[in-house]
Formats: sequence, C-alpha cells, structure tokens
Amino acid sequence: MRDELEQLYQTTYTAVVRFLYRKVWDAERAEDLAQEVFVRALAHRPEKPRAWVFAVAANLARDEARAAVRRKRHLTLLRGDPVAQPTMELSPDFLVEHDERMASVHEALSTLTPRDREILLLWDAGLSYPEIAAQTGLAVGAVGTTLARARRRLVEAHDRQHSAKGHHAAHS
Amino acid sequence: MRHIPEEELHAYLDQGLSRSQCVEIESHLANCSSCQAARDGIAALRDRTTALLAKLAPPRGFPPAFDSLRRRAAIQASARRRRIHVAAWAASVVIALGLGWGANYWISNRSVPAPVQIVQQVAAPAQSAPPVAPAILRPARRRSSTPNRPAARRPARRVVAESAVPAPALVAPPALEMASIDIPHPDLDLELDGMWRTMSWDGAQAEAGDKLPHVDGLPVVQVQLQTSQQGKQPLMVVAQQLASGEVIRTIEGPTSDVSHLLARRTMTDPDPSVADTDSQRRPGVAQDHTDRTMAMQRGDRMLVITGALPPDSLLAMIRRMNAEMRSK
Repeated sequence: MRDELEQLYQTTYTAVVRFLYRKVWDAERAEDLAQEVFVRALAHRPEKPRAWVFAVAANLARDEARAAVRRKRHLTLLRGDPVAQPTMELSPDFLVEHDERMASVHEALSTLTPRDREILLLWDAGLSYPEIAAQTGLAVGAVGTTLARARRRLVEAHDRQHSAKGHHAAHS
Repeated sequence: MRHIPEEELHAYLDQGLSRSQCVEIESHLANCSSCQAARDGIAALRDRTTALLAKLAPPRGFPPAFDSLRRRAAIQASARRRRIHVAAWAASVVIALGLGWGANYWISNRSVPAPVQIVQQVAAPAQSAPPVAPAILRPARRRSSTPNRPAARRPARRVVAESAVPAPALVAPPALEMASIDIPHPDLDLELDGMWRTMSWDGAQAEAGDKLPHVDGLPVVQVQLQTSQQGKQPLMVVAQQLASGEVIRTIEGPTSDVSHLLARRTMTDPDPSVADTDSQRRPGVAQDHTDRTMAMQRGDRMLVITGALPPDSLLAMIRRMNAEMRSK
C-alpha cells in the first residue's frame, strides 16, 4: 500500500509550490520550501496532512519574508536611507521572466488585505472551507464572506488597471 | 421572499455548505430568477479569479522523487538521534565517573592510598615506565632525573575532574575559547615551590606539550599548576566549562598530592593558601573530612577518574576518551 503522504505529495506538490510561489515570488525558492515542507511532514506524520502541509508552507513563507525584510533593512541601514516598509515587491528577475499580464495580476493581488489574500490563495490551493477556517482562525461561516470580497476586489483592481492602461495607450 | 446572500452563493458554489443548506438553496434557486442571475454572476467572477490567479504560476518544474525526500527526512532524523546520543553518552560518563569518585572518596577517607581503578589499569613494570611525563617545571624535571630518586616509586597517578556549582572565582563567559583565555592575575602566584601558578592554555601547553589533562571540546577556563617542595611531579588543574555553565576540573598529579588536595579542598576552588600548606602541619585533617562530607551533602558534585597508571597509559586513556567523545 502506498504511503498516505506519498499520495498527498503526488496530488498537492504542484499546488504547494504555486502557493509558496505567490508568497516568495521565486520559483526555485518555492520548490525548495515545498520540499522542505514534505520532509518535515515525513518526520512529523501529521494527522491531517493536507491542512498541515499548507499551514507549514504558510509559516515557512512568512519566515522567508521576514528574513528578506531583515536583509533589506540591513542593507538600507548600511546605505543610511530610511528603512523601507515590507511590501510584496517584484524582483527584477520576475519582471524579466514574466509577461506584463502576470505583473498586472500580481499588482491586483497586492491591493488586497493580507487576510483576504491569504484566504483567496488557500482556496485556490484547494483547501476546503473548514480547512481554511482552521488555518486562519476564521469562523467557517466567514470564509464565504471573505472569499466573496477578495474575488470582487481582485477582479475590480485588475480591470481598473487594464482600463487605465488602455486609456493611457489610447492617448499616447 | 428572502433572496440568497452573496456570500452564501459563493459558499454554495465552493461546496462549503452542509447538505441541508444546499437543498434549501437549490429549492430557492429553482423558483427565483434574480437569484439565478446572481448565482451565474458569482460563478463567472469565481472563474475569472481562478483564471487570473492561474497566471501567477511558477514555471513548472519536475517534482523530485518522493524517495529522495524520504532519504532527506531519514538523514535529518539520524542527525537528531546522534545529537541526543552524544548528550546521553556524556551524561553517562559523568554519572559513571561520579560513582567512581564516590567509591574512591570513601576509600581515601580511610587513608588507604591504594588507587581505585575505574577505567583502566595497565600493569607496566615500574622500572620501564618513563619518568613521569608531564614534568613541567624545570626544578621538578631536574629532580626527576636525579639518580637518588627511589627507583621503585610507583608511577600511580590520578586524574580528577571535579564539578562544583557554583564556582564563581573560576567561571568565565561560556564563549571563551581556548586561544583567548584571560589570565585573571598574571603577576600573582608565580613563585615556584608549592605555589599555584595560573597560566594560559597556550602557556601551559608550551610547557607541558599536549599532556595537560582535559576533556576535548570543552572551553578551557583556567589552567593551574603546582610544584611541591619534595621534588614530586607538578599537580595540574585544568578547569573547563560545560554547556550548562558548570565548571569541571580535571586534576592530575601524584596520588599523594591529589589526595592531599582533595582532603583539603572545600569543593570549590584550589585555594593556594590551603593547598600549599603541608598536611603534617595540619592536625585537623579528620575534622576536614567531616566538613567535606557536609559539603557533599549540600549538593556539591565531583567527578573523578582514578587509576594506578603509568603516565603514558594515563595519557593514552585520556586520548581514547577524547577520541570516543568525538566519534560518538
């Protein structure tokens, strides 16, 4: 019989990488972290492995973001500039590697509040309402409300950008 | 009639509702065109969100074989186990040595100088044993080569490692490295003949080579040497700090000197003023023993390695201990 974790790995590895990628914005790093998540799952053998895997992935991504902010602050202090606030910034590599449409979705996503964004990404990664609720501390009944708002805002932000760009293009 | 709220339609489409809630919504939708339109709108919004997010996907890599992750997990687990083993091993050595010291302590209390062997006894012929190796001070070395030295002198030596908490006089910051030892009072206690000399690790090594008794891998806090007037070999005390902050001392020297030192120590510090006085001139030795028993009952701890060993096999034993600690 095949290991339950191995089955989970086959079915969710890609989703975990994608979930992490949308947080660290570095494909290789996202894959490293995803593998680390499953190595830890092998050591811990969690009871609810799917929810556990995404919870640990979220934690690793958070640690990663903090480390990035620390690095950045350090560099900023070395330069003597005011300390930059942590933002979801795109790396130059990202902009080179990816087309403009992708960048515009990224920008639209960054207009969401962190909680709305988290819940939208968890949903998109395939988690159920109870799993999302357990991970975020939200009531199950509030997940639908949050998702309704997050989807509306994402599409609105994206459309707003597009019409602005179209307007800009028509004028130039 | 109440229309279905937006969030409930989201939950319905996301399959986030109970079966009874779904039945209720479906029966309403069947008869309500405005809610049907709302549902279609939300379904379209949902699809668009999914399509937008799908653009934020990393270039697809091949997932590594699950077995490679299994191997990584196994390696990490065995590294964890190894760390626990080392700690357990070190603790068992401490306990074993502590027990050994207990036995030795009571035997030497009955003023039987016979060394108790715990770790190893190498029955090397006394004559062939090299003249005590860690001859550190020049006067001592000269005397050791003097022909009128008793030829059958037993090279029995002891190594004593003592842990005493607290030992404020000797405790140094835990990060102290061997190379960066402070000499607390560089100008004090430098007289020979029975006085204690506090030396740096480097200085002591320069004199004694690698013969200083110590446990590998622990930061050395202090090295002290004592030469007695009777031309015996010097007594060496190396203080090292455990990760817990406690200081252990490894004491090495002629049996009589170590016994003497133990008999006069108050479990904290090799006090120069006490250590260099001669035991014959102190009538209160028995009283001291009672005091030390009291001290032990107060919770002081001490580890001891004893053995009737020629110095070369003693050093071999220390080396083997160090090698074992490294390999575990």
